[in-house]
Formats: sequence, structure tokens, C-alpha cells
Amino acid sequence: MKPAPFAYVRPAAVADAVAELADGHGKVLAGGQSLVPVLAMRLGRPATLVDITAIEELQQLRRTGDRLRVGAAVRQRGVERAADAAAVPLLGMALPFVGHRELRSRGTVCGSLAHADPAAELPAVACCLGARIELAGPAGRRTVDARGFFVGAMTTAVGAEDVVTAVEFPVAAPGDGFGFGEIARRHGDFALAGVAAAVTVREGAVDAARLAGFGISDRPVFRDVTALMTAVGDDPDALRGATADLARELVDTGGDGHGSTGYRRRLFAVLTARELGAALARARSSEVSR
Amino acid sequence: MTGYPRPRPARVGPGEATDVRMTVNGAEVTVAVTPRMHLADVLREQVGLTGTHLGCEHGVCGMCTVLVDGDAARACLLLAVQCDGAEVVTVEGLGRADDQHPLQRAFSAHHGLQCGFCTPGMLMSSYDLLANGPRGTSVTPEELPAEMSGVLCRCTGYRGILAAVADTAAAHPDGLPPPANLESRTVLARSRGPAAAEPGTEQPASGRAGATEVRVPSGAPSASVAVSSALTSDIDDVWAVVLDFRRLARCLPGAELVETLDGGLFRGRARVPLGPVTLAFEGLAQVLDSDPGQHRMRLVAQGTDVGGSATQADIRLAARPGPDGGTVLEAAADLHLTGRIAQFGRALAGDVSRRMFEQLARAVDEAARTGADPVVSVPGPARVLLGVARDAARRVAAEAVVRLRTRLRPRPRRGRRAHGPNG
Repeated sequence: MKPAPFAYVRPAAVADAVAELADGHGKVLAGGQSLVPVLAMRLGRPATLVDITAIEELQQLRRTGDRLRVGAAVRQRGVERAADAAAVPLLGMALPFVGHRELRSRGTVCGSLAHADPAAELPAVACCLGARIELAGPAGRRTVDARGFFVGAMTTAVGAEDVVTAVEFPVAAPGDGFGFGEIARRHGDFALAGVAAAVTVREGAVDAARLAGFGISDRPVFRDVTALMTAVGDDPDALRGATADLARELVDTGGDGHGSTGYRRRLFAVLTARELGAALARARSSEVSR
Repeated sequence: MTGYPRPRPARVGPGEATDVRMTVNGAEVTVAVTPRMHLADVLREQVGLTGTHLGCEHGVCGMCTVLVDGDAARACLLLAVQCDGAEVVTVEGLGRADDQHPLQRAFSAHHGLQCGFCTPGMLMSSYDLLANGPRGTSVTPEELPAEMSGVLCRCTGYRGILAAVADTAAAHPDGLPPPANLESRTVLARSRGPAAAEPGTEQPASGRAGATEVRVPSGAPSASVAVSSALTSDIDDVWAVVLDFRRLARCLPGAELVETLDGGLFRGRARVPLGPVTLAFEGLAQVLDSDPGQHRMRLVAQGTDVGGSATQADIRLAARPGPDGGTVLEAAADLHLTGRIAQFGRALAGDVSRRMFEQLARAVDEAARTGADPVVSVPGPARVLLGVARDAARRVAAEAVVRLRTRLRPRPRRGRRAHGPNG
């Protein structure tokens, strides 16, 4: 389990990091918690690792107005501990499910997005909330909506010469409520199925409802479910029926030895009904406490 | 580059070594690493701390869990080059044999181990949970299975482990005590690194035998010995031999001075046959303190063996005039053993060292008296030992065999190790 040899550079500026990737044979290293196992198993053999963690700009975690900005070098455990991050409750709900403490202490939020494992939690959170992912490349900087960022299994809008520099999540407002759940064989494993849910209420009625499923397709699957939530009202049986229909539509993974497609559909339907219901209840109580 | 928590380095080519500075268990360490070397290998092979175990080497099993900048991390998923400036604490830093950390005592009380292979990882992960977890020592026993899921016990001995962690948490409502074995260990000397090797100096393939610095060992020694020998020679003659490293080395059975380096640094080798085992050390020694007027000297020596053993010794030598003429030579040493050699246990290590010091004193006496190089049978320290103290040597050899058998053969594997230590 020794990686093949590679060169290592640790630039001090984003522009330098982008320049290091110019030959197309480099790979960005932040926490390395997904990348280093890939190197150890020699599934990947980049010529150069570009360590971006010394770039000061990327180390910032701060709230600006209605956005929480998480730099690409910010570790998951740093977000768990940051008071500012409480403004995005869904992040706090999802992070304990990301690997283990020992991985979150080095792994980064942006790294998880860039790696884009189809069963990973944070890509689903980003899709559910409509986060914006910032990239720097040879042509300059650009921003990509999370819902258009993931294009397949471990494939994203990040080009070979691009560096993810930050992600911005919208902070929660009164009347917003969230739910997050997943089923994995063991705590810390990738999910067999999972869901991130966000519901907004106005005067007790559903104004908006969105979800992103993960572990159910080759990428996180986003769906606006405002109409579904409005239709089922407060009837839990109707909600379960509706999510079962939704699961048939959204779960398209072929399944594996850990769970067939049908099993994952059932997991997703049950989880989604549970977390949408919980998100609605939280949304109502957050509106009342305003 | 100011303002960055991790200054340096700019660029390291594949296969090229670069210096990385870290603090390991409170001691400053500089290691030369290539980009692909992970932290666990560096801790084990270069720093000599083999308490950090390696299981899967791709981040699944948690055996290699250490604290990096205060938080638990997988040492196999961290490249050593990423750790420039990092503060690392390994299981060796948690406590010492005679002063264990509360977690270690609880693991012992609950028998929180079966084969023991996951224990370092379990200890460091549970330390992190109780010291840095979101709820500290207020974590409930019900939360522990999920919270401790980052380290696997393939013996499935989880009950004792979780009970130990729960007990430790309950016993420390105001917070977990910090690691108990962090000491400062000063970097004394360092070469310019492997790229700047002197012509003719062999560069070993791994960093193991290629130590380029001498460190004052820290923490509890594996064994301590003190030997007082009455010599017939005059004190100034005795001390003249002690100060002449070439002659002094020849007084030690099996030892040889290879090279005298700058800065009071010496490179040497020594062969120590023990029953079925022969240890062949190569290493460095450095005089820390020498007061010829007072006939006192302190030196540190470190050696690594091709089999993966490592030893460090902090040695104090002193001479004073004997009551009836002659000289009393006093030698005291703290020995730190890791790897294969540590399997011998502290009693055996102490006994063997004591005999070697007695032999050294006798040879120094002879060299001081005759002015000639001492004649010690080389390579035959085992024979020397037997001649000096046949009974003791026989006892320690027997102990070694017993220990080797119990260590090496807990689970006989079919078709392998047909020959035990008894042949």
C-alpha cells in the first residue's frame, strides 16, 4: 500500500496552484482523505500533487450576510466546531455522518465536493441548499451552482487545470427547517441510501421543499418537492405513499451486494418521508420562535 | 510566505528527499522524507516509535491513529511532507509504563484488548473523543459504539474497550488529563541530509540505518544500569583511554569505531549475539559533556539493527581514585529499546548491558595499564559474556528463548516457522 512516486508542491497562491496543474498531470491535495487511499491502491498515479492548504485565502471560514463561505483548505472538523457554521444547520446535521472523526479532522468540505463520491453526504447537502462552488482555472475564476456541478460518479465541473477555491452555502432563515438521514452498514461507511431535506414554511404552510438523495444514483439527485409536500399536507400516510413513488423515480443505482435497487428504494422512501416530516416540524417551530 | 501556518517547502521531486520538521511527543524531530512516504512509516521507521501500528494502509482500519495538531488522524492517510510544522502525539506520548494515562489504566482494568494490535489506535481515538469530542467526557455509553467506530478490532473485543472508555469518561467529568509522556528532546546534531552525503559514505536504501542525528532519549527508559568497577590503573591513564574513542570502542566487545565526524560525533557498529539472535547495530554516538578535570563524561548513543530494532543509550561515565590506589570507574546508562530487541524485556536488556559495562571496565583497565590496544575477542561477545558470568548468561539466554517462544509462536501457522528458537 505505497503510492507510486509523485512530485509534491505547496504553492502560496491560487494562481500558482493553477499554474502547477497546467500540464494536466497534477492533482489537487487538500486533506487527502479520499485521494491518498486512491494513491495507496495505485488507482491513481498523478505526476504531481499540488497541496493547496498553505494558501491563506483558502483557509477562511466566514459568514458574509446570508452566505457561509467555506474555503477549500477548511477541514470538516473545523466546520463542526465553528460558531459561524451553526447558521447552516444542515451542515451540522450531515457532518457527523462523514467518515469518522479521524477522517474529518483532516478532510475538507470542498475536497468532498470535488471528489464527488455518489454516496457522499456533503455533495447532497450542497445540492439541497443550492450552494455555489467557486473555481479558479487558467481562464480565471467562475462560480458553478451545486445542482449543475456533479455530472457523474466522481465527475464534476472541475477541469484538470481547475482548483476549487470555496463553497458558499445559504444561511438558514426563520421558517426554514432541515432533515438529514442515511442508512449505512456501519457508522462512517458510505450510505446505502440517504437524504438531505429542506422545508420552508410561511404562516405554517409549506412555501418551498427541496431534497437531495445520495447513494441512489451516480451523483446526488436533487428534486424540488414543494408540490408533493403541499399535496400531502399533514397526512403521514400520504407522505409515505408519495415518497415511495418518488423513490421509484429517483433511485436508479443498480444495487450491489450490500443492497439491491429495490432495497435502496425502500430505504430512500422511508428516510425521505421521515426527514421531510422532521424538516417540516422544525420549519414550523423556527417560524414560531421568530 | 508570512502568515501561513505551514511555511515551506516549495517543491519536492518524486523520489527526492526533503527535510520535514515536526514535534513528536514534545520533541523536535527533523526527518528526511520523499513525497510518497506517509506519516506512520516515518514515525515507525525513522523516529523509531513502533507503537503506531499499520493495518490496511488505506484509511479503513484505524490502527495508525495518532494526534496531529491535537486531533486524531490516520497516520497512513497523511503524507509526511504535509506534516511540516505539525505537532504529533503517538501512543508512546500518552503515558509511560510506570505512569500510565487513565485511559491506559482503564483498558488494562477492563481487559480492553485481545491481541493488542488495535490498542494504540483505540487509545488515541478514545483520547481524541474524550478530550476533543463535541461533548468531551460527557459522552454517554450509548453514543460510544458510533463514536468509536473509526478503529476496528478484528478480535471483536469491543465490549472491554467501550467499557474502558465509558469508565474513563465517567471518572473525569471535568475533562480528561493530557498525555503524560511528552518531554522535550533536543535535536543535538544533524547532517546536511541525505543529498549532502560525504563521498564514500554509504547511503542505506531506507532511512532506518541512515540516522544523521543523535537525540537525547526521552520518556521512561526500557532499562537502567549502573556498574561500579575497581580498576588497578591510575585514574589519569584510565581517563586517557576513555577520551580516546578509538581505543574506548575497542574495549567494548563486538564494537568498532567506523568514522569520526565533526561535532564530537562518532559513527560505529556493534555486534551482540544473544542465544539464537544476533543483533548487528550501526549508529552514532555523541559526547554531550566532557569534564576531563573531574573525570566525567556524558554521551548518547543510538543504533539501529537491520532487523528493525533500535536502541538509544544515555551513558554517564565517571572515574575517581580508588581507596587503595587504582581507580573506581562508574558507568550508568539509561537504555531505550524499540523493535525486535524490545521483545527481550527490560531484565534481560539490563543484565546484558551490565555485563558489557563490566567487560568494558576490565578492558579499559588493561589498556590503561599496558598502554596498548586492548585485546578483546571479537566477534565473540557471547563467549566473553559466558566467560565473565556463565551462570548469568545462561539464565538470560534461557529467558530469551522462553520469551522468543512465547512471542513468536502464539499462533503457529501451518508450514511456516518449522524451526523454533530451539531449532
